[in-house]
Amino acid sequence: MRETFTKGMARNIYYGGSVFFFLVLLGLTVDTVRSLPKTDNSQNLTEEVAAGKRLWEINNCIGCHTLLGEGAYFAPELGNVYTRYGENTEAIKIFIKSRPKDGIPGRRSMPQFNFTEEELEQIAQFLKYADGIKTARNWPPNIQG
Amino acid sequence: MKSDKTTDKELQIQLASNAALASLINLTILPIIGFIALIWIYRKTQAGTIARYHAVLGFKINIVAAAVLFLVSALMILFGGFNSPWTWVYVITYFTLVHTLFIVLAVWALVRAWSGDTLLNSNSS
Amino acid sequence: MKYQSQSIAKLYFIAAIGLFVGQILFGVILGLQYVMGDFLFPEIPFNVARMVHTNLLIVWLLFGFMGSAYYLVPEEAERELYAPWLAKLMFWIFLVAGALTILGYLLVPYATLAEITMNDLLPTMGREFLEQPTITKIGIVIVALSFLFNIGMTILSGRKTVINLVMLTGMTGLAVFFLFSFYNPDNLVLDKYFWWFVVHLWVEGVWELIMASILAYVLIKITGVDREVIEKWLYIIIAMALITGLIGTGHHFFWIGTPGYWQWLGSVFSALEPIPFFMMTLFAFNVVNKRRRDHPNKAATLWALGTAVMAFLGAGVWGFLHTLAPVNYYTHGTQITAAHGHMAFYGAYVMVVLTMISYSMPIMRGQKAGNDRAQIVEMWSFWLMTVSMVFITLFLTGAGILQVYLQRYSEDPMTFMVTQDKIEVFYWMREVAGLVFLAGLGAYITSFFVKGEEVKIA
Repeated sequence: MRETFTKGMARNIYYGGSVFFFLVLLGLTVDTVRSLPKTDNSQNLTEEVAAGKRLWEINNCIGCHTLLGEGAYFAPELGNVYTRYGENTEAIKIFIKSRPKDGIPGRRSMPQFNFTEEELEQIAQFLKYADGIKTARNWPPNIQG
Repeated sequence: MKSDKTTDKELQIQLASNAALASLINLTILPIIGFIALIWIYRKTQAGTIARYHAVLGFKINIVAAAVLFLVSALMILFGGFNSPWTWVYVITYFTLVHTLFIVLAVWALVRAWSGDTLLNSNSS
Repeated sequence: MKYQSQSIAKLYFIAAIGLFVGQILFGVILGLQYVMGDFLFPEIPFNVARMVHTNLLIVWLLFGFMGSAYYLVPEEAERELYAPWLAKLMFWIFLVAGALTILGYLLVPYATLAEITMNDLLPTMGREFLEQPTITKIGIVIVALSFLFNIGMTILSGRKTVINLVMLTGMTGLAVFFLFSFYNPDNLVLDKYFWWFVVHLWVEGVWELIMASILAYVLIKITGVDREVIEKWLYIIIAMALITGLIGTGHHFFWIGTPGYWQWLGSVFSALEPIPFFMMTLFAFNVVNKRRRDHPNKAATLWALGTAVMAFLGAGVWGFLHTLAPVNYYTHGTQITAAHGHMAFYGAYVMVVLTMISYSMPIMRGQKAGNDRAQIVEMWSFWLMTVSMVFITLFLTGAGILQVYLQRYSEDPMTFMVTQDKIEVFYWMREVAGLVFLAGLGAYITSFFVKGEEVKIA
């Protein structure tokens, strides 16, 4: 690099630039958090949904599925599974319940988690809540996720 | 007249660096505009200098890259069909990888221009 | 090696390589599960194998970063490490905690692990890459803080070089942003938003600082280029990394229920994110071209150039490929992301740690560089691993494009599972490339044991 561009200038760009953009990120974060109630479906965030989220977490569902496009890419997107299953929480519960314990020969299969009826309802409610989040351009592009 | 000679060498390296930079810019953020800049720099170079070498190298890299990238991609689309998913599997993967290889080559050309060398041989004249 | 305490790095590097082997073995298992869905089911289901694969990666890279810091900080600071005993103690704590966590993943169902470790008290488990039990996370914080204290005290009471300060800043950022992993609100959008404060601000933020400082250190050592020149490059690279990367976080906020302005901010800033990686390529090529000496460690030079190119390719180009919101609308959460993830992690972080190991390990073993035969084997391993990773990326990219077309773009979209069957051929090819990678890793480990004429320290 040219001699006219000194190390001091490079250092100032680094300090100035990173502090400035960190503050911008902070500001945008405050704005985002404030405007979330418009889209985040928090009006439907019940105790049951929260319990469902915990079950979603402690069974590591994200290890195979995506939820709003984030997670593993081994199994279907679940951010819109409620819509895909005809807006029917029963259908979701039946699917989870009916997974064979030893899998399906030669195919991918979801494990059998032996959930209680109450837990099944919580998970289904959590997925329904996730489906209600208003994503930009109504992502995913179509019902298949 | 030793000092004149050194300034001339510096000037040549400066020109060579600008040529290599124009070539790299044409390959990345400003296609065509970068090429026009390269032509403009080329006209200021003289035969046998490192500056001329890098301007010509810039032409070669960019013309070959354009041919290899656009021609082959066009052929893939022509033979594969615009509405076939497999066409896009090949075109996008091919274009991205090969384009990057040309960029890496142009980066190497640029650092060689900075040190007043040709692509492969250290030119200490 | 100028200071005795630098040799602590050796412990860290050996552990890193050991865990790297585990990571790749589980990678091969995962690849097979993609095509033989019932492989090891229900003993090791996909989610468990994936968790082991990604967590081992994170842990061994942390070992690699800490080892690199323990090696370069004393030499840069021109004094012994502040507390070598603390570095050794933390090594064992981290190794045991890491091993127990991985064993926990493998031996008991994840829900049981959550119960045993009392996740209910402070639920943090079950989010991608942050699957570690809360107690492990607390352990990571303790290890990170002790580490920061140790290198911080060394740097503050020694020579303060730019490389040391950048390394310290990067590691501090790593520790600070990890604290967001303890924040797990019930609100899914908030959870996702701050989850990225760990994941994105690590790999597209502060880790780039760590990477750049390691690369700068090794390049000073092997090329002999003037420190002033290298430090100027280092500053400008990390400046660009943070200027683009901080707001670039926005490319994760396109489709998770966050405001629409992120579409623009995320697209524009993350489109600039290749710049720091591009500059790293330019920087590495430039200083190697202008080298003042020919260091006998050819393998380390190859790794340094390799990491500069592959980070640009994997993190820069393959990131740019799907970062613009209109493109990401179709590619978000497909195999395109997997393709990018593999090459970016390998090119940027795996290779920079291997660069450091390649440079420092022979010195810690009493030689200036590995013997000729060992270096040849190591360079073979470089090419086997790097080329196979390029192919893994190309195959996953092909799989991703086809998946996007069939499942997302087509007017008559197929279901997820039907699409997966259609792209199976790519998964088979990826698995073959994965086996070549494993062979390359085998060659890498072999290179440490190849005997030959020693290259003495001058």
